[in-house]
Amino acid sequence: MRRALREYNFDWMLYSTYDAASKLMAGTEKEYARALRYIPYFSGMIDAVLATGEPGLSFVKTCAEYLKNIVTARERGRKVAITSFCFSPVIFYAMDITPVCLEVMSVFLTFTYRRGSAEFLDFCNEAGFTETSCSSQRGSLGAYLAGIGVDIDMVVTDTPGVCDTNANAFAFAAEWLDRPFFQLDMPPLLKGERYDRYHRDDYRALVAFLEAQTGTKLRAERLAAVLDELRKQDGLIAELEEMGRLVPSPLPPAFTLMNYAARFLFAGMKPCTDMLQSMVNAARENAARGVSGLSGGAERLRGFFCYIDHYTYNMRMWRMAEDLGVCLQGNILSRNWSIDAPHVRENHMEDSAYSIDMTDLDSMIDSVAIMNSRMPMIKSIRGPFDAPDMWLEDTLSLARMYSADFVVYSGTPGCRNTWGMLKPFARETEKAGFPTHIMYSDAFDDRVQSWDATRARFEEFLRVRRLLV
Amino acid sequence: MNARLIEAAETLNNEYVRRWKEDGGRVVGYTCSYAPDEVFHAAGILPYRIRGYGAQETTIGDTYFGPFICSLPKCMLQLAGGGAFDFLDGVVIVPGCDSMRRLDDCWRKAGQDMAGIVPPFFFHFAVPHKFADYTVNWFEGEIRRLIEAVERHFDVRITVEALRAAIAAYNRGRALLEELELMRRLPEPPIAGAEALSVVIAGAAMPRDAYNDLLEECILELRAETRRLQGRRRLMLVGSASDDTALVRFLEGDRALVVADNLCFGARFHNDRVDDGPLDPVRALAERYLRRSDCPRMYGDYRRRLEILTDTIQSASVEGVILQNIRFCDLHGAENGLFERDLEARGIPCMRFEREYGPLVETGRLKMRLDAFLERIDGKRRTA
Amino acid sequence: MIVGGCDVGSLTSKAVVMKDGKVLGAMLIKSKARPGESAEEVMNGACAAAGVERREIMFCVGTGYGRDRIAFVNDTVSEIACHGRGARWMVPTARTIIDIGGQDCKAIRLDAEGTVTKFVTNDKCASGTGRFLEVMARLLGVGLDELGELSVRSKNPVTLANACTVWAQADVIQFLNNGVPLEDIAAGINNAMAGRMAVLVNNLGIENDVCMTGGVAKNRGVLAAIEKILGLRLRAIRRHDPQLAGALGAALIAMDKTAGGVK
Repeated sequence: MRRALREYNFDWMLYSTYDAASKLMAGTEKEYARALRYIPYFSGMIDAVLATGEPGLSFVKTCAEYLKNIVTARERGRKVAITSFCFSPVIFYAMDITPVCLEVMSVFLTFTYRRGSAEFLDFCNEAGFTETSCSSQRGSLGAYLAGIGVDIDMVVTDTPGVCDTNANAFAFAAEWLDRPFFQLDMPPLLKGERYDRYHRDDYRALVAFLEAQTGTKLRAERLAAVLDELRKQDGLIAELEEMGRLVPSPLPPAFTLMNYAARFLFAGMKPCTDMLQSMVNAARENAARGVSGLSGGAERLRGFFCYIDHYTYNMRMWRMAEDLGVCLQGNILSRNWSIDAPHVRENHMEDSAYSIDMTDLDSMIDSVAIMNSRMPMIKSIRGPFDAPDMWLEDTLSLARMYSADFVVYSGTPGCRNTWGMLKPFARETEKAGFPTHIMYSDAFDDRVQSWDATRARFEEFLRVRRLLV
Repeated sequence: MNARLIEAAETLNNEYVRRWKEDGGRVVGYTCSYAPDEVFHAAGILPYRIRGYGAQETTIGDTYFGPFICSLPKCMLQLAGGGAFDFLDGVVIVPGCDSMRRLDDCWRKAGQDMAGIVPPFFFHFAVPHKFADYTVNWFEGEIRRLIEAVERHFDVRITVEALRAAIAAYNRGRALLEELELMRRLPEPPIAGAEALSVVIAGAAMPRDAYNDLLEECILELRAETRRLQGRRRLMLVGSASDDTALVRFLEGDRALVVADNLCFGARFHNDRVDDGPLDPVRALAERYLRRSDCPRMYGDYRRRLEILTDTIQSASVEGVILQNIRFCDLHGAENGLFERDLEARGIPCMRFEREYGPLVETGRLKMRLDAFLERIDGKRRTA
Repeated sequence: MIVGGCDVGSLTSKAVVMKDGKVLGAMLIKSKARPGESAEEVMNGACAAAGVERREIMFCVGTGYGRDRIAFVNDTVSEIACHGRGARWMVPTARTIIDIGGQDCKAIRLDAEGTVTKFVTNDKCASGTGRFLEVMARLLGVGLDELGELSVRSKNPVTLANACTVWAQADVIQFLNNGVPLEDIAAGINNAMAGRMAVLVNNLGIENDVCMTGGVAKNRGVLAAIEKILGLRLRAIRRHDPQLAGALGAALIAMDKTAGGVK
């Protein structure tokens, strides 16, 4: 990492960027256009997001608020926990702990700077962490290891049993920073009494850990308030997902990102509800008019990303989708496993989903435990890919339900759990009739494969498979 | 050195396995040291540790695994695809790590293309990543699930008595291995690290009772051995799975000696016992296997592992630690980074490198580093 | 007393002949298939340049990949120790040495006395080595020495795959097809190289002064990129060709050995 970079506080740098971005629309159009010239590697993203209108603005404001919470955590007397995108933050919010989600912070960075997270990635290696580890955590972890972010109080993850490189990043961080560590461990299957009990026992141990770290007990009314909000959010997400089935889809491509980002940032909190509500409103309008959410108005193809998106700067992946007229049908991150989700109902997967029981504190903790075990990736990457409830079943049922024309894998070379069986997996999706493209790039690091090369190969796939003629 | 032990370590389908099969015995392979051998022993089945030893290429492995995956499971699949494990009647896949976990998926899918490579008993055996009351409970349940599956598939009964006898047999082996370890740590040991590794590996490739007898014989021979290895730099080998005696031989050369290790094919899993008291034997197995947290797959327990290393370094008078990891093995790779930081701070020279599992190739660069590392140890000796 | 140092590397072989701490002659050739042959030829060349006969060399130290195959040396020492010693001779205040050779790169830390206290080297892939630059220069159709000059003119360097030479090649081809200016690609190549190296050096821990040896030390673009990332000035090497550091170090160690020293 350059010495110069260590002069900047990482969280403040991101906060001031997103805070400024959230105010861009406050001026005149001319001022807006002028301002974009000063942020060449961020302007594309801002333009793409703000082009969606109120939902986009709400998204940028929500990002700024999340970052503000981090930079002000200390002065507000909050404990700070490093955590993961697949760990529902509801428990943190119910206990006044400020979550710093590493993968989300990495994306903030890659979206904003052309240099992306390169130097933060590298700093982890300089600290002794492996360069083959997943870039999604390393991208921002480097800043906290280098001591240029907020002081961390604890490290909490739920990926053991699901993703080694993810879990290992958190274990390494805890050791390097000499901070308390807690892991929720995931067995290879999802359903059944033995598994439910394990999830619940484990989650209770988490609550005990958090109580010990904060010195306060988890209060039923606080958890109830958060879960109440979460139920509203689940309803809104279900509506968005249902509208995504329409042809053409009324959802703009950026909505896929905004859908999961809202939950990763603020599940169970008002900003997430507001943002989802504005997305639903915009989508309803499009749906009522029968128009596509694509800015070009014409939906040429529907693509399902079976893993994650590509987070190169300026949201170039989403802009490519706009250019090509590809409607993005979401990915593993954007799926919600609430019992009311359309894909749960459609495929009669109620026992794989979660429901919220608000009877008392015990039932709420049990509910959150089961919900957390259904978080993206946590649910479906834990066991053999072709086992019930796992990756292949989810991918095929979703791709079918959303009438996808093709399936794309985008991930990171650090992802042992998917790269371990991606070839047989893709063989199965092809067999099921979905042309499948594997991106060999790193969703968080253009230095593995430049976006230009990634896009060229993707377009080649569309041509060769005669999807786009 | 006992030739039968060496043969058992260096031949996959060794004489003991062949004889076992000729006598109508059944063999179940497993992929990770968290699998409880005792269960199979108690069932009258030979537990056999699956290795990638001897694979010369990974064409089959690369057909199913992606490019960013550890070469150990690729080599295992390569051998399986080539029929090297045709003698197995069953396979237990332990998700020790993600790469190994996916051997389950890839082996089964390869079986759709290559008939007969997937044995009829194919079992996914999960192991929690931490030690707590409820994780031991769960793991006990998992061992019982395994027992039931073995009983059903092989039409056998695994009795409490048989489990106790198996625990006694394996504990005896562990005690003997500990004795071997102590001999390695002598100021002038009678055995080199490469030979010791062979002895340990043989234990996972032959019937335990026969192994215990051979091991006892071997220890008696070593006690009587007048040849002593003198004047070598004393190294400890740490990190990713290594059953490659050629690598250890290479590291030792004629100037160094690997006097201790912390490897999952090595001494790591033998320096304790399963409780053989009145405790229920399945519970005792669950406690022992889960408590053995010497692998970085058990997250958040680094400090304890560091202590294990520093104790060993002290008792074996280790002068330098070699920290290796197979490429894409982030669990060991990252832990090696921490070990390097902490051991160097305690004045213990460390050399960290990344390698591929499989045939020992491209040794030039490694030799350059090793020579410089030994020079560094010499420098330390001079200034001591 | 006349001493010699012979460094048989994977891509080039170097030899140095010294007398009383002064370099009498040196030679650098492309390595041949057999290390023994390379050693013979390069040592003969160095002797010729020095104007001495081979038999006049009282003590010779061999180093490099091929050091065990050199018939005429009196002793062999690792490249790490030789590069450390050679660099120290060229920059007496050096405590950290970055060496980028044909197929590897190393970072070496010395104590105040010049003893190697720690070193790290790259693993496996050629990315971050001289070979990487060679492959990339060929793709761009420029000479290796032009790469540095070109990159200095860049205003908008590309981001290039830095973990794998093969993928970086694919990226470069893509950029060329997209009409990206050569200088921006060249700068991307040098940045990728410097980035790899910086991780290694930072992992080792930097102590001032820092200098760079090996063939790549002659590439202005890489030097500048490393300086920028590390945020420090590399001590310039003027006393001798930085590519000869290993052979020089070997000769200096030969001198120590004949003097009965231990360094």
